[in-house]
Amino acid sequence: MTVLVVGGAASGKSAYAEELLCRLSGNAPRIYLAAMRPFGAEAEARVQRHRAARASYGFQTMECYVNLKRAAVPSGAAVLLEDVGNLCANELYDGAGSGDGAADAIVDGVAALQARCAALVIVSNEVGSGGARYAGDTLRYLRTLGEVNRRLAARADAVCEVACGIAAYYKGEEPR
Amino acid sequence: MILITGPLFSGKRDAAKRLLGCDDAALARRAVCDAQELARERADVEALADELARYEVVTAAEVGGGVVPLDPRERAARERAGRLACLLAARADAVVRVFCGIPTVIKGELP
Repeated sequence: MTVLVVGGAASGKSAYAEELLCRLSGNAPRIYLAAMRPFGAEAEARVQRHRAARASYGFQTMECYVNLKRAAVPSGAAVLLEDVGNLCANELYDGAGSGDGAADAIVDGVAALQARCAALVIVSNEVGSGGARYAGDTLRYLRTLGEVNRRLAARADAVCEVACGIAAYYKGEEPR
Repeated sequence: MILITGPLFSGKRDAAKRLLGCDDAALARRAVCDAQELARERADVEALADELARYEVVTAAEVGGGVVPLDPRERAARERAGRLACLLAARADAVVRVFCGIPTVIKGELP
């Protein structure tokens, strides 16, 4: 089962996704697949906060900044992938990333995870409601993330938007 | 008229084509896409909404979700885009919001 969890910054999507994965995972090992490359003190603090929150749930943390397809996730695991916004930025702008092939790289990577995982919860970001006039390369990023979100939503069994920690489902139903 | 709204790159144009069962060429005749851009050039958003209401489908991106822009022209454009979307929704038989490519009818019913 694959669930796509989308929300704005600090919407409560991470905590909701963690809880959801625990509900879906049964006895399967829980893997947290982290996509954010920690740059600087603010990012380190964020990583520490998220790690502490997950410790009680028994997650094993793995890192994957680019090339999701190659992530060595054990077969049958329950995986929480967080988050697609970072993965998009890495694929577009990291030297090791796929550049213009970013959307395909991410969607193919998710397909590979779906084939291997007992359960998959994907956290993504909704950042497309803040206007259309951006300097530099921002629109390219938004276009890529928008495309990835649409394609992942089509592949997922359920899709929800989290606001204030509350999930509203647009596709499928909330897994019990 | 049916109004299709949603974030940038959320799949509004595809939803319009599915709704009308048409291709890009026909869409250009039957629909107006990105109405928020038209609002930027026009002070008379009421008249603009009346004009757009004659089309079968209008799409408009949600642009009011971020912080208030520093530039006064951007602020005015965003303000007009939001007002236009409300005026279009009032005139529309149905309003659809697309999120990650998934349409939700938030007013009326689709034909």
